[in-house]
Amino acid sequence: MAEAVATLPKVRRPANSWEIWGRLLVVPYLLIFVIFVVYPVGYGLYLARDPQNYVRLFDDPIFFRTAINTLVFVVVAVNLKMIIALGLSGFFAQTRWWINIVALLFILPWAVPSIPTILSVRFMFNSEWGVINTLIFKLTLKDGPNWLNDPTIALGLSMMMHIWKSLPFWTLILLAGRLAIPSEQYEAASVDGATRWQKFRFITWPSMKGLYLTSTILSMIFTLGDFNSVYLLTGGGPADLTHVLATLGIRYLRLDQIELAMASIVVALPFVLPLVYVMMKRLSK
Amino acid sequence: MIKGWSLRKVSTEAQLLLVGIPVVLWTLIPVYHLFLFAISPRDTATSGRLWPKSPTMQNFEIVFGQKHFYLSHFWQQLGNSLLIAIATGALTLLVATTAAFAISRLKVRGGRTVMNLALFTYFIPAAFLAVPMYKTMSNYGLLNNRWAMILAMVTIASPYCIWVLKQASDKLPWELDEAARIDGASPLQLFRLVYVPLMVPSLVAVGTYALLLAWNEYLYGFLLLSKETDLPLAVALGNFLSADDSPWELLMATGFIYALPPAAIYYAFKRYMVSGLTAGAVKS
Amino acid sequence: MASVSFDKIEKNFGKVKVLHGISFDIADGEFVVLVGPSGCGKSTLLRMLAGLEEISGGDISIDGKVINDLDSKDRDIAMVFQSYALYPHMTVGENMAFSLKLRKAEKALTEERVGKAAKILNLHTLLDRYPRELSGGQRQRVAMGRAIVRDPKVFLFDEPLSNLDAKLRVAMRAEIKALHQRLKTTTVYVTHDQIEAMTMADRIVVMHDGIIEQIGTPLELFDRPGNLFVAQFIGSPAMNVFEGTLRSQQGRPWVEADGQQWPVGPVAGGKDGQGVHYGIRPGDISMVEPAQGIPATVVVVEPTGAETEIILQVGETMLTLVLHGRTDVKPDQAVGLQIAAEKVHLFEKSGGQRIG
Repeated sequence: MAEAVATLPKVRRPANSWEIWGRLLVVPYLLIFVIFVVYPVGYGLYLARDPQNYVRLFDDPIFFRTAINTLVFVVVAVNLKMIIALGLSGFFAQTRWWINIVALLFILPWAVPSIPTILSVRFMFNSEWGVINTLIFKLTLKDGPNWLNDPTIALGLSMMMHIWKSLPFWTLILLAGRLAIPSEQYEAASVDGATRWQKFRFITWPSMKGLYLTSTILSMIFTLGDFNSVYLLTGGGPADLTHVLATLGIRYLRLDQIELAMASIVVALPFVLPLVYVMMKRLSK
Repeated sequence: MIKGWSLRKVSTEAQLLLVGIPVVLWTLIPVYHLFLFAISPRDTATSGRLWPKSPTMQNFEIVFGQKHFYLSHFWQQLGNSLLIAIATGALTLLVATTAAFAISRLKVRGGRTVMNLALFTYFIPAAFLAVPMYKTMSNYGLLNNRWAMILAMVTIASPYCIWVLKQASDKLPWELDEAARIDGASPLQLFRLVYVPLMVPSLVAVGTYALLLAWNEYLYGFLLLSKETDLPLAVALGNFLSADDSPWELLMATGFIYALPPAAIYYAFKRYMVSGLTAGAVKS
Repeated sequence: MASVSFDKIEKNFGKVKVLHGISFDIADGEFVVLVGPSGCGKSTLLRMLAGLEEISGGDISIDGKVINDLDSKDRDIAMVFQSYALYPHMTVGENMAFSLKLRKAEKALTEERVGKAAKILNLHTLLDRYPRELSGGQRQRVAMGRAIVRDPKVFLFDEPLSNLDAKLRVAMRAEIKALHQRLKTTTVYVTHDQIEAMTMADRIVVMHDGIIEQIGTPLELFDRPGNLFVAQFIGSPAMNVFEGTLRSQQGRPWVEADGQQWPVGPVAGGKDGQGVHYGIRPGDISMVEPAQGIPATVVVVEPTGAETEIILQVGETMLTLVLHGRTDVKPDQAVGLQIAAEKVHLFEKSGGQRIG
């Protein structure tokens, strides 16, 4: 019978070589962490300390526009993307020889760096000589819209770019989740007479709910940080109307107002940190 | 009726094609457009044809020959990209492998805390850290030094790599460490002779991830480096945009060259990339 | 050449105490088996000897020298793990040579030692194979080979046969025993299987809930178990045990249980009217005509080929009987039981200590 021990005498042992090496081997990362994370974060918060910054920030109409843009961007792009990814994961779960080929091509946006591809799209939608407008003119003899000069369309194109780039990754994640479901469950359901929709509702979705939620939250965090999709497509324009949080900092930097840049990030923290907290909880299980 | 084909089967195939074809088109169009521009001569690039009337390698010649103002440092910049990417990959591997070994196998005290710190860093969008990092590197006197970008990239890549390596390490049976200890191994010998050889697939995945992260990076290079000869190719590409009359077809050609290595690596290491990265998300 | 000594060993995991003052000695060259049910602390004790667990209290000595603060590699021991723990990325030969490689031994010495071990264990044709290409039994032998190459003072075995199928287990038991007879190295062997203990040990240490129940040779434990736990743990099928009352009249003792009189050998130290546990091994009961013995009804007959196990009912009690050969008795048949009185074991009703 194991009994509880009331008091344990503290035995002091000299640290053995295994413990010493353990501590030594985390030093490289800890150094990086302190020098390149703790210091910048601390310094950034220090730069943003003056409450005046926040007054100026909220007085800036661009800031509000940016906040709305960011909200729209994150909510719409992420959910649209995840729903499509969920559907496509079902598509790629089918075993056909040609679907495997499609899958191979499908990961291209993920594999290829974003700069050339975003620039490619930017040129496609150039209102004067871009391929899209050229084709529209050829077909309708009318000028196509000025895509990137309309803030709403431009933001929409940025979102499309973002989805284009990140869809393969999330599709793969959800596909892996789907493949983890034992096929016997589907077979049993077939015997029981379930339709395709019923199988999704009662077998696929319950198994994937957790993964879908985790992926959505993580994707929101990543999307908040997507600088390239906006900056390289629109530069934040026209007239600073398509900025998102990720690109706003650069605008203020350009205007030599680094404190405002820091302040804009600090303002975003109350929205970002809860997401981060939820992610950490879910992942360290 | 064709033998073996029921109406239901045909409709299923048709539905799948209805999904598959748009997916392929949607995926390929931006990339194909890039390729199209790269092999088209200046004047016909924007003609809207599906295949250029006179495809040419001339653009590539100009790029490789550095025969244009914007491309005067092409090879240097390509080299910078390579240097930064490889240095990031190597350094990240070093930092992440040692940390993962200490946390997972040596069970160092406070290991959980370090792991959580790392995870936390991973979840903060890198774009948020960019401006503070810029100021920090300025304070450290590292601006316009390629090491600024390398260290910044290592900082960003390490957390995820540590996490992936730790997950993989935890799968190694404990008795191996115990047997090695009884056989007489010191901590370093255990690391060198038992741990690292068994972790090679994960190390490849993680090193590749860090390398590609640095190669693909734009924002940090843009902020931290300004001298033309220091720039990685990604940032140089962005600089093309500053003028209205830039040679777009040359930009696309350069972009195409720039895009090849990552695409090649991804396709070569497809299995590692997929398993290495999805292992984190889907816990079996 | 090494003796091993455990002196008042204690072990705590956090607030939970799992070993309560274990003390015993192992003589040089002895094969000692630690046996007991899961959770009794036997593996923990072994691992403390190996240096894989901290010692909370007490001293462990090898050859008279206290080794508590020595790192595993300085204790001159070798261990065979339950899951073999072979290095998957090294060949059989490299696995066996690893410890020597760590000490930067000369190539000639390494080859000689590995070759010798390989020969003893019949592994010389497998030296270039990888562990994943070997069968369970072969891997087990490689694990032993790795231990032999070390030429240590003490061999430690942690349930090495648990992962093998029954037939292989029997074969490996003999091999390990033969190995010990050949090398004569002190061996500490942990298992939960009492048959392994009985067949291989010079002495057995029966452990239970962190204490030693009894130490003795296999036959000592079998013939004179010191308490109820040991009595029911050692021997298969297990000893029949039921409660009764000791009666002693006119100098002749017997036990009253279930309305029957059960024979008892000469009992020292028992009192009339004392509550006891009555124990008799299945092999010490025989069947006779219903009138000539204790009346019982046959419930199940299980022939196992060379022997037959019969389960019988006497009143409320079920008893198991083992006899050599075959029998014609059928279920529901009435028989008589004859018990060899001198083979009866009596234990105190509370505490289970042996009486006499």
